[in-house]
Amino acid sequence: MKENIKIPYFPGCTLKTKAKNFEVSAIEASKMIGIELTEIPKWNCCGVVSSLSTDDLMKHIAPVRNLIRVQEMNDSGQANGNRLLTLCSMCFNSMKRTNQRVKNKPEDMKSINDFMYLEKDYLGGVEVIHYFELLDEEILGRIKEKSVKSLKDLKIAPYYGCMLLRPKDIGIDNPEEPSVMENLISSLGGKPVKWDAKSRCCGSYHTVNNKDIVINLAKGIIENARKSGADTIITSCPLCAFNLDNRQKEIIKKDHGFRTMPVFYFSQLMAVAFGLKEEFIGLDGNYIDPKPLLKEKKLI
Amino acid sequence: MYPEYMQESIKKVEATRPDRLELARKLGKMIYPGMNKQEREEVLNENHPDYKAEARTKVRIGPDKGMVMTTEIAEMLERYSRIDIKNFDLSKADIKTDVLVIGAGSAGMSAAIVASEQGSEVLLATKLRLGDSNSMMAQGGIQAADQADDSPIIHYLDVMGGGHFDNKPDLVKALVNDAPLSIKWLEDMGVMFDKKESGQMVVQPGGGTSRNRMHSARDYTGAAICKVIRDEVYNRADKIKYIEYTAIVELLLNDKKEVSGAVMYHLENKQFSIVKAKSVIISTGGFGRLHIRGFETSNHYGATADGIAFAYRAGAHLLYMDSVQYHPTGAVYPEQIVGFLCTEKIRAIGAQPVNKDGELFVYPLEPRDVEASAFIRECNNGKGISTPSGIKGIWLDTPLIDQINGEGTIEKELPAMLRQYQRFGIDIREVPMLVYPTLHYQNGGIDINDRCETNVPGLYVAGEATGGVHGRNRLMGNSQLDIIVFGKRAGQYASERAKTIEDAGNLSLDHVLAYNKEVEALGIERSKVSPIILPDYIPDHVKAKQLIQEYNGTLI
Amino acid sequence: MSDTQKMVKVYVMGEAYMVPEGSTIVGAFEYAGFQLKRGVGCREGFCGACATVYREKGDYKLKGGLGCQTVVTDEMYIAQIPFVPADKPIYDMDEITPDAGTFMNLYPSVFRCVSCNTCTKACPQDIQVMDYIQAIIKGDIAEAANLSFDCIRCGLCALRCPAEIVQFNAAILAQRLYGKYIAPKSPELEVRANEIIEGKYVKELEELATMEKQKLVDKYYNREIKIS
Repeated sequence: MKENIKIPYFPGCTLKTKAKNFEVSAIEASKMIGIELTEIPKWNCCGVVSSLSTDDLMKHIAPVRNLIRVQEMNDSGQANGNRLLTLCSMCFNSMKRTNQRVKNKPEDMKSINDFMYLEKDYLGGVEVIHYFELLDEEILGRIKEKSVKSLKDLKIAPYYGCMLLRPKDIGIDNPEEPSVMENLISSLGGKPVKWDAKSRCCGSYHTVNNKDIVINLAKGIIENARKSGADTIITSCPLCAFNLDNRQKEIIKKDHGFRTMPVFYFSQLMAVAFGLKEEFIGLDGNYIDPKPLLKEKKLI
Repeated sequence: MYPEYMQESIKKVEATRPDRLELARKLGKMIYPGMNKQEREEVLNENHPDYKAEARTKVRIGPDKGMVMTTEIAEMLERYSRIDIKNFDLSKADIKTDVLVIGAGSAGMSAAIVASEQGSEVLLATKLRLGDSNSMMAQGGIQAADQADDSPIIHYLDVMGGGHFDNKPDLVKALVNDAPLSIKWLEDMGVMFDKKESGQMVVQPGGGTSRNRMHSARDYTGAAICKVIRDEVYNRADKIKYIEYTAIVELLLNDKKEVSGAVMYHLENKQFSIVKAKSVIISTGGFGRLHIRGFETSNHYGATADGIAFAYRAGAHLLYMDSVQYHPTGAVYPEQIVGFLCTEKIRAIGAQPVNKDGELFVYPLEPRDVEASAFIRECNNGKGISTPSGIKGIWLDTPLIDQINGEGTIEKELPAMLRQYQRFGIDIREVPMLVYPTLHYQNGGIDINDRCETNVPGLYVAGEATGGVHGRNRLMGNSQLDIIVFGKRAGQYASERAKTIEDAGNLSLDHVLAYNKEVEALGIERSKVSPIILPDYIPDHVKAKQLIQEYNGTLI
Repeated sequence: MSDTQKMVKVYVMGEAYMVPEGSTIVGAFEYAGFQLKRGVGCREGFCGACATVYREKGDYKLKGGLGCQTVVTDEMYIAQIPFVPADKPIYDMDEITPDAGTFMNLYPSVFRCVSCNTCTKACPQDIQVMDYIQAIIKGDIAEAANLSFDCIRCGLCALRCPAEIVQFNAAILAQRLYGKYIAPKSPELEVRANEIIEGKYVKELEELATMEKQKLVDKYYNREIKIS
């Protein structure tokens, strides 16, 4: 059996504010399967803030600074392996893209390092990974072993969105036929639902300025899940979660016949299956109350 | 870094440090016997700058004609108005308000907040920016008897004794009684006082206190308070109008000799304007920038005692204008920060004053005038250290602080001080500071009662511009308290008065006209004007080329 | 100034002047004949009025500092900043909560931070400005309050920020939220304040206030001293 995994972990701002339920469930569920997430010190924004996009390099400074934190942890022996783990798909995407950019373009790396003269130079050695990339056979085995509550009656639609899969050289799985979330669901004893909308766009940041776009897209995605027999949707992206979960408030206002559906972070269902206490599942953070569903399936 | 020749003396300080550390561990703060009444009087008489013959003069005009005052103040009062009164149009007020507050330190801004809460319209005028004041610069603390082993009664005794029993009892009563309420008011507004985990306030002793009573916010206490009050003023923009870079140059009186407004002067667009007000609060602070006796000062650029000048012309009586506070510990090295205040908190948390031979010579926490006089005596006795420019000082042995309280104490408790010296390559965790008394505080001021009223109806005063609260010597942490307690009271009572008045009456400068005649009768040159508004640091040889005739005020 | 005083050349807003070596930037302005109204304040580093930008000989960097604390060097270019136009929203402290949401409403620009750290480089108080902005974004208001505590509101952070954040105003909000809501209330203060409202000390204070002076003097010199 592999040793336990201790890995530097980047939470991102959403997991500290709006998506606390994502973080707590992921951390606690991971402990059960021998994965210890170590929050990196002095982390800053993942770099997704693109409002200053006129300067193409500026937006890469934030992610590189986080990568330097991991580099420092490795240099000082606080970590080894030079990997940085994220839970949030958006953080994963923006930091991995930056990492690739500066590794491929030494002149950009130099510009950024020069600008950040108060920091040690980033040398390009860090690898950004998403949590799902830890889920090899060994870990999936552990998940199976620790699942004390069977999700067999729960039909789960895995929602990938775009940040985990696109662009292709950033994505963690086959962009057309991804399977990593299905594997996780099966290991938890649940039924992955086959559906069409699993990597359809949720509307992303249009949720700020063009709410209606997101309302329509979210409605389509949820109805597609429902039609395919799903009880619930899981995701690893707080923005997807917001658009699919919170926006149901507006969908109901427009369509009184709409049936709501709970949306979970994948880690919350891990916590459910592992039988963790409710505060570690973080159900209060979900907008559409998932408790009736979980009670109906005798999971809480 | 300190020059080479001082190293020998620093070595002596280092040599006696272990013994002095031992002493502090054994005896706490009482490392040197405190002075009794007779010893205090002796050291003051022989050394305090106020006690020199030329330090005081009888003022020759005005409501307190014949009163002995600090020479520079008497000179400032015997000056002409800045306004050409005969040609000044008073027919129409530019602004009308219920309450006019002059000066925007913590006293003025507290007054503005309270007056607006009472429902008054407030105009807050300051010659610099909101918060530009000595309030912002106070480092060490604010007193209030809120601990279980303390009480307003004990606080009262400390204030009176510190002030040599010259304090006005009613004012001291108000000060100590309102103190805990004022701290509570600040806590509720969000001031980050130093606290223990339980929420209990961290309290230190101060010079002349018989209990640990000094509340602090690191060593930015004044700023922490003033920033919060200012933020609150900004938040009340609908009720408190404020106007910056605008100095008040005269008060206006009506036929009944009540205050009816003021004349304002904008420092940048150079326009005069007239405010009509039902009540006026003066919170213009003190006189440090008049450089009494040629002393360097720890005061703000704007500390030119403007309020004293125009209140006196309007008939307000003054009190204890013969008393100046020299803070014992002003920096004398490096040269760039001569006069810079080294907070009393430094001594309160363990630094010891020692002479050039590294010897203790005074209890570190005597009342300020006594402590300062003891420093001057030590230097006069040849036990001081001279700087390259010839100023003398004594050592304040700061490395002891970390040795007594544990490493990191200085960094945590005195960040402003540490940073200030680091800018000049001096690490006060490793080496002592060189200090000498600096001109710090105006003990006297405009005479008020416990409602902040003066003898001129409608005129209120709060803060350093007042006299009587601290007698002839203020204790550390009581001015931060004074400005909140009396700032709030002034706001309250000025607003109450404004509510009873339909119209403030006519606007007249006749009193200034009469006053000018008195000045003229003394034969004072016409170019001498007051209020001073800003000090003048342009060197003489440059100034000589700027002026086509002699001019004895600031240019402005 | 003695004849032996060494002089250095500084460019005051582009024009050359000779001023004494060791002058601060504010001092250099005054020596050159300027009576400052803006760009000068307490002259001790507490008020933030004298934000300055300067360039030193042979250095491409535009540096920031406080005019009263920065000593001029030969061939330095100096300029005082008169005013920092900054957004300051109005809020009622009783109506807001100590969390990131409050800042989303009042200071949405905070969330534009690209972590470039230019603010930190500009800060004359050596405050980790970017770190406190990031702490706000994370909702860690206590951390933001503590990190920003020494802010004197000179405005250099906001002037240099490419995301146009008003760091120094966000800082005072964080500090007030911390002081009012997060820091534990002082229990002994509450007790004493209530005693005073009930008038517990009025009588005894009145006795002291009307006491014969000699009696009061004796009482003072005989009072118990309990300090630690």
